Amino acid sequence: MCQWCFKHGAGKKWYLNAKNYYADQISTEEEMKDYLEEQWKSMENLFIRKIKGFSSIGLGYKMQMPIIGKLIRATAEGMIHSEKHNRNPARGDGHFGQAIPLEDAQLIMSELAAEPIIENYCLCRYMQRGTKECCCINFGLLSEIIEKIPRYIPKDRVVRIDRETAMERLEEHNKKGYIASVWFQPVPYINAICSCESPECGGLRLRTDFDLNAFYKAEYIIQLDQDKCIGCKQCVSMCQFSAIRYVPSQNRVIIDYDKCFGCGVCRHACKQEALKLIPREQYPGWDGTY
Amino acid sequence: MGWNLLGDDMSKVKERSKMKKTKIKIDYTKCGDKGGIDPRECTLCLKVCDPCVFLMHNVLGVEEKDPRDPQVWRITPVWPSVCMRCMNCVEACPEKAITVRW
Repeated sequence: MCQWCFKHGAGKKWYLNAKNYYADQISTEEEMKDYLEEQWKSMENLFIRKIKGFSSIGLGYKMQMPIIGKLIRATAEGMIHSEKHNRNPARGDGHFGQAIPLEDAQLIMSELAAEPIIENYCLCRYMQRGTKECCCINFGLLSEIIEKIPRYIPKDRVVRIDRETAMERLEEHNKKGYIASVWFQPVPYINAICSCESPECGGLRLRTDFDLNAFYKAEYIIQLDQDKCIGCKQCVSMCQFSAIRYVPSQNRVIIDYDKCFGCGVCRHACKQEALKLIPREQYPGWDGTY
Repeated sequence: MGWNLLGDDMSKVKERSKMKKTKIKIDYTKCGDKGGIDPRECTLCLKVCDPCVFLMHNVLGVEEKDPRDPQVWRITPVWPSVCMRCMNCVEACPEKAITVRW
């Protein structure tokens, strides 16, 4: 279990703790509403706002600077994980997520998520790629706020969906190759399950390119049954993190466990059932690497 | 050399740090609010950029009629450090507003 499970999980994984799904259990509903409203009305601005007086434009270069780079990194991490009352919603303080396998996402959808549930356009894909794709599932207080923002709301389809539809949609996205992910916004309030894609996703961008923990690896890791693998290479095309590679001499795939986020998307492509997810803590060497 | 001495050693950037910094500029007199072009209707640079360097956002500090539905938008090259220097954006821009230098 990761640090956030110990902090907000009540003995379970953080996203399986029912308390985290209800705003009134964490703080007042008004406070959460104000935060989410402020955050979402111009969320595209999140990456151009200032960190300690430094504009976040060109963050990669700025973090390479001696000393100042370290300071910027520490400040940015502090912002992402902030649990303070005066955190700035416009900068997305306290907003981060974790990859989860489809099974956990469906468990959240069927039992834990608060009503109403909506499916809206992905914000990250809109701001970074200019496309509108309906694949983000939000629930609880956040749905009521997003419903009022025209650019995220599809006009040609039903926005509010029931639990069964949400589960079906998640499965559909996961099989397409998107990673299911669960988000705190703000920590420890959980109100979104996204179907993310690298490099468009803002959280994945910060994690994979700048090593900022805005996105954690899943509580699971992939295990390959080398005898079952026939080298069809189907799984290679599914991995968003290029953690799977084909080696011709062995006629099978190899896995880079450092890159594996444990999302389990590759399993959908494997017809031989050679890939399966195991809890990260059971995998020697990769225990505790989130 | 030296630049990276006390800074970060992000593996991906480590190799690139030997290279010169990429500078991407967008001429806002040709694109965006001042050029009379709505980036939301174009988005060609966003589509052709493989590593997603560009960010489309509403402009900060502009008085909007409805803050939930901003109308003034702009594109900023927000992640120049992941740029692959493929020049696809320079070629794709119909207004020739983008320059990439290093």
